[in-house]
Formats: sequence, C-alpha cells, structure tokens
Amino acid sequence: MKKFKDIEEIPKIVIVGHVDHGKSSLIGRLMYELDQVPDGKYEELKKVSEKRGMDFEFAFLLDALQAERDQGITIDTTQIFFKTKKRNYVFIDAPGHKEFIKNMITGAASADIAILIVDVDEGIKAQTKKHAYILKLLGIKKVITLFNKMDKINYDEKKYLQVKKQLEEYLTKINIEALNNIPISAKIGDNISTRSKKTLWYNGKPLVNVLDNYNCNDNQMDNILRFPVQDIYKFSDKRIIVGRIESGKINLGDELLVMPSNEKVKIKSFEEWPKPKKEYNTGECLGLTLSDEIFVDKGNIISHPNKPPKLMNTFEANLFWLNDKKMDLSKKYQLKINTGEYTVNIRKVNKIIDTESLESTNKKIPNKNDVSEVVIHSSQLIPMDDYNVLTKTARFCLLDENEIVAGGIASLQNYPDQKELNSSSNIKPINFDVTEVDRASRFNHRSGVIWMTGLSGSGKSTIAKEVERKLFSKDFNVFILDGDNLRMGLNRGLSFSPEDRTENIRRTAEVAKLFTDAGFIVIVSLISPYRSERKKARDIRPEYFREIYVKSSLEECIKRDVKGLYAKAIRSEIKDFTGISAPYEEPLSPDLTVDTEQEEIEESVLKLESFIIEEFSIKK
Amino acid sequence: MDRHLKKLENDSIYIFRQAYRSIDNIAMLWSLGKDSNVMVWLAFKAFFGKIPFPLVHVDTKKKFNEMYEFRDRYEKEWNLNLIKGDCPPVEKIDPSLPPAARSAARKTEGLKKILKQYKFKGVVAGIRRDEQGTRAKERIFSPRDETGKWDIKNQPPEFWDQSNFNYPDGVHIRIHPLLGWTEIDIWKYIKSQKIPVVDLYFSKNGKRYRSLGDKDITSPVNSDAKNIDEIIEELQTTKVSERSGRAMDHEQEDVFEKLRSKGYM
Repeated sequence: MKKFKDIEEIPKIVIVGHVDHGKSSLIGRLMYELDQVPDGKYEELKKVSEKRGMDFEFAFLLDALQAERDQGITIDTTQIFFKTKKRNYVFIDAPGHKEFIKNMITGAASADIAILIVDVDEGIKAQTKKHAYILKLLGIKKVITLFNKMDKINYDEKKYLQVKKQLEEYLTKINIEALNNIPISAKIGDNISTRSKKTLWYNGKPLVNVLDNYNCNDNQMDNILRFPVQDIYKFSDKRIIVGRIESGKINLGDELLVMPSNEKVKIKSFEEWPKPKKEYNTGECLGLTLSDEIFVDKGNIISHPNKPPKLMNTFEANLFWLNDKKMDLSKKYQLKINTGEYTVNIRKVNKIIDTESLESTNKKIPNKNDVSEVVIHSSQLIPMDDYNVLTKTARFCLLDENEIVAGGIASLQNYPDQKELNSSSNIKPINFDVTEVDRASRFNHRSGVIWMTGLSGSGKSTIAKEVERKLFSKDFNVFILDGDNLRMGLNRGLSFSPEDRTENIRRTAEVAKLFTDAGFIVIVSLISPYRSERKKARDIRPEYFREIYVKSSLEECIKRDVKGLYAKAIRSEIKDFTGISAPYEEPLSPDLTVDTEQEEIEESVLKLESFIIEEFSIKK
Repeated sequence: MDRHLKKLENDSIYIFRQAYRSIDNIAMLWSLGKDSNVMVWLAFKAFFGKIPFPLVHVDTKKKFNEMYEFRDRYEKEWNLNLIKGDCPPVEKIDPSLPPAARSAARKTEGLKKILKQYKFKGVVAGIRRDEQGTRAKERIFSPRDETGKWDIKNQPPEFWDQSNFNYPDGVHIRIHPLLGWTEIDIWKYIKSQKIPVVDLYFSKNGKRYRSLGDKDITSPVNSDAKNIDEIIEELQTTKVSERSGRAMDHEQEDVFEKLRSKGYM
C-alpha cells in the first residue's frame, strides 16, 4: 500500500466568517462531494433535519450539539478529518457569532490555512472583518476568500466583483493577502470540487484544487534555537530538563545559553525512551542533562549563545480580550508564555481598535472581544522574542484567577532589552552579581523551602528544631520560620479567619523566598491548613519548595495537647481553631510525610534530615 | 515513522508533561483498547519508561475475556501501577436513558467513584475527535464540575498550547492527549512502535471489532483484515464509522451528548 505514503503533512484548515455565511454548510458539502460521509450518516441527518422542519442541512455533520442544531448556529469549534485524492486535511469549523469569539480563536489558532467566507448576497459584515483581523493577530498572512451563496444572486459577476473589491480593500489595509477569490454555492455545490458551468466568467480553480495546491510551509527563521524548559525531572540520579523545541535544532555538542540567568552550559546527554538521538529538531520533545549544576527553572528559555531571546520587563502587545469582565488596569494578571508563568499588570492602553473602520475608538478600557494595543509590565524578567522575528516565543495569554481572559502577541521595539541594559549601563540587579550558583557552590547546597504543614500539636516545631540543629552542625545555612513566632512580630494583628490565614501564609512565603535568595534552607513550620494557600507558597519558587506533611490524627493531637489549646477550643474559648472549628486539608501529594503517631520522634527527624540532604546538597 | 505521526507523538508527549506539571494528582484511564495502549506507550515516552502516576481500569465486569487476559499480562510486563475500579449495577443508573446507553453509563459512575476515592484532580482519557461529533468539540484540557458535568456551551478558550489549570476544589480536568489522532493514525503508530493489542481487532470468520466496549453492547463489523497492514488498508477506503458496532451511539440522536455531558468519556 504505497498510495498514501508520500503524503506526510496534514494541513489544518480553518473557515471563518460572519454567522450564517455558510461555514459549516461548506464543510458538510465538501465531505459529501468527496464521498467522506460515513454510511448511514446521510440518512441520520436527513431525519434530524426533518425533525426540525428544515431542508437537508449539511451543517449538522459538524454542529453535533443539540443547542447548535436547534438554533441553527455553531457554538463551539470542531474539527473534522477528510481527504481529497491528493492529501488528508483537518477542517476546523469556527463559530461566526460574536458571542463565541473565544471558541473561534480556540479553533483558528492552530490552523495552517485560513478560509474567509462571505455571503455574497448579504455582503461584508462586522464579524467578517473582526475575524479577518483576529486571523492577522494569530499570525496568518494569507487567506483563501470564498464568495458563498452565488445561487442567491443568480451567479451575477458584477455583484461578485463588487463584494470582492470591498473585501480586498479591507484585507490590504490589515496586511493580509487574498490568494484566491472563489465564487461558490455550498448549498448547490458550485466550484467546490468541480468548476461550475454557471460561473463561466470565473477563470480560477474550484476550492478543492486550490487546497491541494496550497503550500503550507511558512518561512519563519527556523534556524534560531528556542527551547523553553517545560519541567525538570529527577528520575534515578539524573536531573532531566524536558521541553519542546519551538524553533531551530540542538546537537549533542552544542553550547547553550539559559535565560534569564544568562549562563552558558554544555549538554551532558540527551534523554529519550527507549533511546535518544544525536540531534533534535523543531517540534520535537526532548530531555537533556547538563554538564554543570547551574540553576534552571521551568519557563527558562534555552538558546544558542549567539542568538538569545530578549529579556523584557516592559513591552507592547496587541491583545484580544475574551472575558465578560473588562480589562482592569489595577489588577494583576498571570501571563503565560511558552512554559513560563509571570505576574504582570497592564500599565497602559495605547488604543482600542475598531476592527470595522480600523480607526482607534474613544473607548478607554477594552471589553469583551475588543482588540487593543497595550503596554505590559512584569516584575520578573521574561525571556521572549518580537512577534516579527519569531512567532512562537512572542505570543502569550493572560489569565485572571481561573480563566484565560486574553491572548496577545508581543512587540519589543519600543522598550529596552534588559539583558543589554545590564551589561552596558550602571544598573545591575543584584541577582546578576552574585548568582544562585555562586551561593550554592560556596555553601555546598542549594537553597530551599521546607514547608512543614500539619495540625497543631502534630510535632512540626519539635522536628524542625532538631533538624535545624543537626543540619547546622553539618555546615548548612539553615533557619526556622515558626508560625507562632512570626505571629508575634511580622504577622502580629492577623486573626485566624480564612482571609487572615491566607495573608499570614503569603507573608511567610515571601519571607521564605528572601531567605532562599540569600542561599538559605529555610524550614517553615506552619499549620497552613488550606491546600490552595500551600500551592500559592509553592508557586513562588516551585524548584525550591518541598511540602512536608507532619501527620498525626486529630485524636492524638488532642490527647497530646502540649499547649492546652485544644481543651480551650473544645470549650469554644478559641475561635477558628484548626481541626476543631476550622478545616484542615491534608496534602494530596506531599514531597515527604513524617507520621509522628507511628514513628519515634528521632525517626521522623532522621527522615527529614536525610531528605533535605538528598534534595539540596551539591554532591562533589 | 512519517512526519505526521512524529508530530502527533510529540504533541501528545507535550500534553502529558504539561498535565503532570500543572495538575496535582492525576491518573490515566486504561480501557485496554487500542487507543488506550497507544496512550500508555506515549506516557512511557513522556516519562522515560516509568509512568509517575497510577492507571485506572474502570471495570464493568462485562469486558471480553481476551481483554482481561491482556490486562493481567501487561499490568505485569509493563510494571504498571494499576487501580481496578468497579461500576454500580445498571438498576442504579438513570432509567430515562435508552438501554445500551444506560448500561454504558455505569462506567461514568464507576469513574466518578474512583475520582472521589483517590481525590484525583486530573484524569487522562484516550478519546479522539474523529470518533464522534461531540468529542470533536472537546478541549485538550477539559474541566468537569463536582458532579462530573461537562459544560458544553461554555468551554474555556485554549490556544497556543495554553490552558487554564486553576479551577476551584471539586473540579477535575479531563486530559485528552489523543484528541487530534485519527483511527488510522492509531493503527499506523501501533505498527511503527510494535505496541501490543487485543486479538479481537483482527478478523476471524469475516468479522472483527473496530472498537471495544462491553460485550453485550458491542458487535463486530464485517471485515477480512487479519493484521495491522490489512486494517490500515481497510480504513483508507471504508465508509463504515468506527463506532458503528457500539449500540449505545445509535439509540437516539442526542444520546452521546447526554452521556458525555454527565461525565462519560
């Protein structure tokens, strides 16, 4: 069977356009003409259409949801696979209704080919333009335009030319090239897989031929290496850095540069199961180990030293806003770019663009579905690229508490690359003078946060004190942050309400972070009852953070009641007491559990001590 | 392996690693079918030969014997950390569902039980877009609320490999690393990697199973494909849909949507 062997790429095609201009119908029609409708499906859809009192509706092939069929619109994006005589395709159907822009983007963002469809009878509408503009933001520079429902205007060439001219004018203004302008009827089947006799004035090819001849290779500068660090695994005794090459390639002998630490390093080995190769290319996932113990974290970008990404803390971006809540300049957002996550705020809205007129609007703050130009500021340095240089390391999304609220592409010309600033001026952030590696190599251990959580009376402080003493005698830089002690100073005035507990933990975690900056192993002994808060503490420096569950049943803790607090809590003399009148959420996957009910105290101490040495000391 | 398969493989590995990094406590469903085995294989690739989370077989106790034999053999051979879960009797399931769907919905309840028991925040499932219309609308990382419900009309945006992982307690995320694969991709990959599969997929007496489910609601299709090459050849020309032998899909227009919106895979 050689027939399909030479066809290696399967282009993804997205169809966008105003609601009801025929996106889903076109795909249905294509499937039908290319004989791709499964047996029985035609009859099934006929029944489904009749049930709703409609003519046969091809769109139902894709509009599989009940709500979509009942309302006759596409709500969510869908993908469908089909093949022509020449090659296989994935068709992405994107909703046209403005309510569903986020679903349209979800579909369109992964496309190799874009088709913009216009109802030639109705002409160009708001979403026709909006979609074209969003395609541009998604990095699509060429489209195939289709003028649908030619049957409704009796295949009138003049009308076609008129709509075509309007559309071309718009596309030219936003720098999108219209490759083909095909007059079609998805309903009747004109110019889909064969040339229609009703449009003899049209000299071009039908849609299927156009697709089959389409060249999907983009000509980005693929030789620049960008390898964002996705995760770091410690399997057996290896520390494996994993990620996917977003552009360029890596050879075993290459020297690499890690950003933002700006350190050069060599590859020790490639790791792959069942066995590694000697070279990896764009799009490939790989694992590697390094020849030196330098600090590498998730979200770092690895490149070749001569072509590094830029290091930005302020930059401009084009944003599309997707959320019902409008943009808030006083708010912190989470920015995700490649594998990195940063806290940012939007410093300024330069303009909001009216995608119909392309003028800037009078509005000040972007709302749902608005496209804007903004300035973004991050307190951390972000390794990234300009959108016109490398697409994949220049696009990002913004998250609110728990949803993606915007997508954007970065433009880096108007703000300085912090990397150059550091080397050429007097401004030198301290973390570049004495690096983490310098500290670690002097102290012979990396810094870390040992976060001990557990009920009051479970034995956290007792174990912490012992472990601190033992590690100190072994020349570790170690320090205890104790919950009770902190409440006498830094955290004085905070109550035990959920909000104040949250603030208590936040402050403690920030102090712990400062200690890690100074190269310490800091042992935090804190009830910290909420999973979500412990996760936030972990998220400040995940590489450093180890959660230790000091386990003991509530009954046992009440029995011990070293400080006499449980007795008071049971008598309701203390409010919000964890275990009695406030919840304790035990860790789901702690890095280490010490069970003080089952183990002798010495045993728990030894266990934690060995764990810390194993995890943080630098083996010579 | 051709470039298309290589890309699918890399995309899936990326998804696995993203899930493991971003979701606290995850597990992977292993239904013993072809897709599921490809998934195990991809997880080996993502985690260098040792899967760092448990696999779950939600057992309806109505699978084919060949499937149980396969499970017991490869649980050992692959050194899997396998959780075997059971399902409630059909009498406990929503009686408004048509019979086969009602029977299939046992698996949803079995899964919910496991999720609750082990407090999993994420579960990897091997569904594909080309199998079924509502699956084609899925996200790679798809949240389910406390009751397992899928909010089809309000799915989160997902683009440029970015997703949200920050959901309130009680929500779990379905992780779909095979969403972009097709049936034929699966078979080509099985061939190139020599991944073992249950014999029921190969033709005996002019019939074979294209999709495996409970034995009382799954029937074989007419086929002479006796090996992987013949299956690949058959799939290039067939117009019979993959799930045509799964009775639950064909009882009502919206039955699959109903099942899935309540938490079915």
